[in-house]
Amino acid sequence: MDKSDAPVLIFIGQPNCGKSTLFNAVAGHKAQTSNFPGTTVKHTHSLVSIEGRLLNIIDLPGTYSLHPSDPAEKVALTHLFHERPDIIINVVDASLLGRSLELTLELVEMDIPMVVALNMADLAKKKGITIDAGKIAASLGVPVIPTVAAHGRGIKELFEAAFRCLDEPCRGKRPRWSTDVENVLEKWTARLPADFPCIAGRRFTAVQMIESGHLFCSEFLEEIDPDLHKSLDEIRAEIAEKRGLPAYEVIAAERHHLAQKIFENGARVARKRKRSWNERLDDVLMHPWLGHPILLIVLLVFFFLIFKVGAPLETLLIKPFSSLKALLGEWLGGGLLFHLADGLLQGVGGGVAIVLPYFIPLLFFMALLEDVGYLARAGFLLDTFMHRIGLHGKSVSPFILGFGCNVPAIVSTRILESRRDRILTSLLIPFIPCSARTTIILALVAVFLGPYWALGFYILNILLVAVLGRVLSLFFKTESPGLILEIPSLKIPSLKNIAFKIYFQLKSFVQFAWPLLIAGSVVLGLIQSLHGDAIINGVLSPLVVNALGLPRELGVTLIFGFLRKELSLLMMLQALGVGYRDLLTVVTRDQIVVFTVFVNFFIPCLSTFAVLWKEVGKKIAFLSALLSVSVAILIGVLVRLVL
Amino acid sequence: MINLLLAPQAVPLKLVDIVGGERVRRRLFTLGFHAGDIIERSAQGILRGPVLIKNIESGVTVAIGRSVAQKIMVEAVHG
Repeated sequence: MDKSDAPVLIFIGQPNCGKSTLFNAVAGHKAQTSNFPGTTVKHTHSLVSIEGRLLNIIDLPGTYSLHPSDPAEKVALTHLFHERPDIIINVVDASLLGRSLELTLELVEMDIPMVVALNMADLAKKKGITIDAGKIAASLGVPVIPTVAAHGRGIKELFEAAFRCLDEPCRGKRPRWSTDVENVLEKWTARLPADFPCIAGRRFTAVQMIESGHLFCSEFLEEIDPDLHKSLDEIRAEIAEKRGLPAYEVIAAERHHLAQKIFENGARVARKRKRSWNERLDDVLMHPWLGHPILLIVLLVFFFLIFKVGAPLETLLIKPFSSLKALLGEWLGGGLLFHLADGLLQGVGGGVAIVLPYFIPLLFFMALLEDVGYLARAGFLLDTFMHRIGLHGKSVSPFILGFGCNVPAIVSTRILESRRDRILTSLLIPFIPCSARTTIILALVAVFLGPYWALGFYILNILLVAVLGRVLSLFFKTESPGLILEIPSLKIPSLKNIAFKIYFQLKSFVQFAWPLLIAGSVVLGLIQSLHGDAIINGVLSPLVVNALGLPRELGVTLIFGFLRKELSLLMMLQALGVGYRDLLTVVTRDQIVVFTVFVNFFIPCLSTFAVLWKEVGKKIAFLSALLSVSVAILIGVLVRLVL
Repeated sequence: MINLLLAPQAVPLKLVDIVGGERVRRRLFTLGFHAGDIIERSAQGILRGPVLIKNIESGVTVAIGRSVAQKIMVEAVHG
């Protein structure tokens, strides 16, 4: 059986229900997980064999309902309709069962075979919720399997149920609403023409049309039957008149009451007397006055730990490469072969000895912050400050993710509802120092000038983002929609999850970034041996030498920084012809600062530019590049004048 | 009936209505906040910052901006 024949199984659930963790447990850690609503902003495919049967499994972004309110939710809906799944696994957070069942009821109406994974059953138990899966299954008419995805519990049973459902399709019980709504609904379902293109069941289409009005199939309606359009308005008006509420709200309320009924019928909630440990911890973490100092301390501790772990590792690892470089010089002289071998050594050695010592601890702390659930709390705390730059707390998560890598950070702006906020956040993210730039800041500024200089650099960087945000928001007059951000429960992070996250990001670095570092260094070696660097340096010298006061040889390194930011650092050493530890013999400390400032802000790297183009469009990508170059020159010159 | 910004903190309140537009109402419904639910204002950000609201029954906690909080009408729970 090939990929096209394998049954399509879709994982769908509300944000933060452990859907991606479940997907990873089955598909082998391909999806990003975290304790922040909306981490999965892209869909992930995986062809897996379970119990000898091939399945095409798809993980969709979390969605609260089938009425998307942000681009990430739209991805979920588009793929749900487009993939035409053979079976749906609806992952439900058992600790929030009442609310989660509202999405389940929407899915049941699609009339596609479905199994419910009652995930985080352990967390529900801790909250005092005892669930009778059998009763819930009886109410819904589909199998309900308790799972704890983080510990791999219940997954075998879940897939056994899924296979049974594939062999003998198990379709849910059609939800029955109040008689008056049912009557109108039946009337409307009958009114739809026989050849009306139903995405799922006819009833599902009818409900969606009443709930969404002209948003659902609107163009189609206009085209084929303007009368149908008018009838829809009449039906919606009829419901609104009967209940005194807009039609969408009547449907939402019906679904809510039904979900509550199923929940109350199948679950018992023991009232807790004591506040749980995470509630008490939250009181402190989100305290109006304590929360901010704690956030600052957390970030400072992470910064110093990354440096304290990275610096000695770097010293240890760089030695063998420096010795090898000296030996190469003796063996090969100064010709083409030496330049090529030196380039190769710089690329390989730089990746191992300069980049990885800072990159790995940074990945660890980023994963830790995500998995604990601190990002949403940071969003709450920083909302006030974000308003000053024309955004709100929901943009904090993409910004913090930007410290790891700007690329997923820009993709994660899909959690923002308004395009204005997405553009503004996406324009600011390239100014957040990613892991590559952190490496440069730590390896140059912290090592040669001291960690407090590097810290000052970060503070100035954040101030710059704030000023830029303020200025840019003047050009985006539309008002930002107010903040509505779910704060997930604090969770004890799983070291296994963190290890997998680090592994996959490292794998991506080794596969994509490292070859660029090596190839870039070898190409520079070649250019140097052919004296091509002199031409490039000559062209760039008005900027590099006159404006920034840097050595002329550094011109060529800036060009290559567009491929990967670390490349500028490795090439700096190569272009100046010195070992890392001897850097201060050819440049001054002030020049190190100016170089770092310029490289840090100068043009987003190739991957960031490409993702900007894809996510927010060509114009914004070029605007971002123009903005970065202008800011880099301006700040670089200013820093030179001040120092 | 008062808007949430004027309501006291850490006190059970009955959500009476959400007087905002369709976007805000839909979003709060899907997050699990409906008329009749018992909620509380559990925290408040500094310098006219956002408000943290919690649905006492489900435990769902949501951070909302002040403009959204103003649209949530509540009343005291008696007894």
